[in-house]
Amino acid sequence: MSQRTTPRRLLAAVAATGLILSACTAVEEDPETTEEEAPAPEESDETDAPAGEEADDTEAPEAGGEVQIGDGVTEEACPEAVNPDNGCIYLGVLSDLTEGPFAALAVPITDAQRAYWAQVNEAGGIAGFDVDIDTYTRDTKYQPAEHAAAYQQIEPNILAIAQSLGTVNTESVLDDMDANDIVAVPASWWSGYAFSANDHGLIMETGYSYCIEAMVGLDWFSENHGEVSSVAAVGYPGDYGGDSAAGAQLWAEANGVDDVTVIPTGPNQVTGGQDAVVSAVMAAEPDVVLLAVGPAENAEIVGKLAGGGFTGRFLGSLPTWNPALLDSAAAPALVGLYNHLAPTEQWDGTSAGTEAMKASLNGELPPNGGYIIGWVMSYPMHALLEKAAEGGDLTRAGLRAAMDGLEVDFDGMAEAITYGGEGADVAVSGLIVGTPNAEAPLGIETSNEFFHGPTFDQVDYAQACSASS
Amino acid sequence: MGNLVTAVLAGLGDGAVYALIAVSFVIIFRATGVLNFAQPGLLILGTFFTSVLAVDQGLPFWVAVALAMLIVAVISMGIERVAIRPMIGRPVFSTALVTVGLFIMLLILAFRLFAARARTINDPWQLDQWCLVQGEGSCTVAFYQHHAGKIVVVAVVLAVLGLWLSRSRTGLAMRATSLDQEAALAQGINVGRMFSLAWGIGGALAALAGILLAANGSVVQANDALFALVALPALILGGIDSLRGALVGGLVMGIVSALARTYQPVHAPWLGPNFENVAPYLVMILVLLIRPYGLFGTKEVQRV
Repeated sequence: MSQRTTPRRLLAAVAATGLILSACTAVEEDPETTEEEAPAPEESDETDAPAGEEADDTEAPEAGGEVQIGDGVTEEACPEAVNPDNGCIYLGVLSDLTEGPFAALAVPITDAQRAYWAQVNEAGGIAGFDVDIDTYTRDTKYQPAEHAAAYQQIEPNILAIAQSLGTVNTESVLDDMDANDIVAVPASWWSGYAFSANDHGLIMETGYSYCIEAMVGLDWFSENHGEVSSVAAVGYPGDYGGDSAAGAQLWAEANGVDDVTVIPTGPNQVTGGQDAVVSAVMAAEPDVVLLAVGPAENAEIVGKLAGGGFTGRFLGSLPTWNPALLDSAAAPALVGLYNHLAPTEQWDGTSAGTEAMKASLNGELPPNGGYIIGWVMSYPMHALLEKAAEGGDLTRAGLRAAMDGLEVDFDGMAEAITYGGEGADVAVSGLIVGTPNAEAPLGIETSNEFFHGPTFDQVDYAQACSASS
Repeated sequence: MGNLVTAVLAGLGDGAVYALIAVSFVIIFRATGVLNFAQPGLLILGTFFTSVLAVDQGLPFWVAVALAMLIVAVISMGIERVAIRPMIGRPVFSTALVTVGLFIMLLILAFRLFAARARTINDPWQLDQWCLVQGEGSCTVAFYQHHAGKIVVVAVVLAVLGLWLSRSRTGLAMRATSLDQEAALAQGINVGRMFSLAWGIGGALAALAGILLAANGSVVQANDALFALVALPALILGGIDSLRGALVGGLVMGIVSALARTYQPVHAPWLGPNFENVAPYLVMILVLLIRPYGLFGTKEVQRV
């Protein structure tokens, strides 16, 4: 261990890798790459295939008439089945479960989905089938390459994907999903998912996009905090902050506001802090700051600006909140100046869906709002499976066909969606506004449910507000 | 002018943490020749233990810091004894890959420990600031106390470390080991103990860096461990075997990042978002083109 030439080379290689990673949010994805990454079915790993028939077959379920089944559905029971006499529907989960940037949110999302499908199975399953989302759950570390590799591994054995985390990750395999009729529920809220040119009609989004959130959020702000003459949009470039900033610009155009400052930033683990954002906002002096960042960045920005005498207010997107923020030094500023925006009811909601979600934890609180997301986003897949089963076709093609016109009411947790449309026909805009409150569960008290503003109806929602990367 | 002052002050604060991380790499590298890519894992464990001790257990902040550094130092020494010592005599590349594996293990452990929670560390600076220039109703040039705290803490720690390495018997033994292990052994120095000590100090410094990273009045999460990798350009810039280089490299990189973050979006928006993350690497590449061994690194002599 005394040679020193090799470590330098190794370090340079690691540094170069870091360079690529650090710039990845601004890198244009090469659409050609997804073609190359798309797995050929015959090359896929078959060793994970569950025992039992997988070719097109006809099953006579206990709970209904004859149902045609195919890939990802077996007559044999699921591993550790709740109902041993039922067949099994295998759903994939591609999420960030250990070391990626969204693991803190993705783990409760996945936990909620497991709890949701467990209660479905305990209620008898779907048309004679239990639903298994454990066997083909894979950790993608929020990396497109890992996501694509995991997808290739599980694709032959799943009927659909119950959770696909990350827009760019999902896009990396979308062409193959299209070729194989794999429907997916995304754990991301990019505006492009409302358009089949982007998602091939395969993505079942839950709630509004970040772009719409910005528009409706600013409408709500105007109604509740007075006229807005200037806006700052702070966020991570791409499908999250970029979409939110695009929504702010659309809102400004529709409402005759000229002063919009877009301030891109990155997570603290990359930037080390948000001082540059604080300076930029202080210089712009906007009436309201839209935040599309992580919880740590949210607290630092709001806390430092408030401490510096900034008099505007803040609207934070869904992922900006974590209950632990109320333990931070920024808590007083957050309570006084910040509102949380969400497309779904929060833990203090009263809908039937929210009550069922709370019951799944027996009164305990989850670590953060990821659990709510996971629970809500299970409804579209549940409704889709039931509709396909009722139509007698639980194949991938059957599911894809059943998406058209599928109505999902989310048991009141989120605004109802009718899938299969384009743009404004499928997009919803119901906004839940919350206020930080240490006494409220998960630290957010709902102050306005399903607010609808005028701006969304005025804009031409004919294409994605922003690029996904 | 106000933006420049703010950026430089913030850059010095961030740069101090970069420098500390870089020094933690250098200490281990000089003593054992191993680039320890597990440092990010040790960094975030330091943050976690401080949070547990200072927030959950209610210990005074500086007591929690000292205990957390001690715990991480013991973990680091354990890693060296169990996973690194058996690699002596093996190719350096193999040892480095072992540390990459350790990094992933420690990161996953950190995610388990954080359990999807964001944490605070109850640092004394929080969001307090000194307003250097007061505008109309708001502060236009602020110096956050956590930046000042980082600069002071890093300066004191590195000064003490430098004195210890140059004046104490053990410090001299460690330096002798880093210069020539066989000669040190011949002089009766327990080289194995020096290895262990270097890993312990490196781990403790990484833990302190993690604590300082989290000291910004906000919250910290497990994936903030990756911040340690941002210090790699500082390490290369200064020279990977130079403590002085690590300090200078860290400060330079902190200021470069802060200036790029402040001015690039205004004056060169065509470079795209997040350019401040790329800027340190560009500086590093430019310096390496002129000085391949970094600003203060040891130039290798090769027989031909």
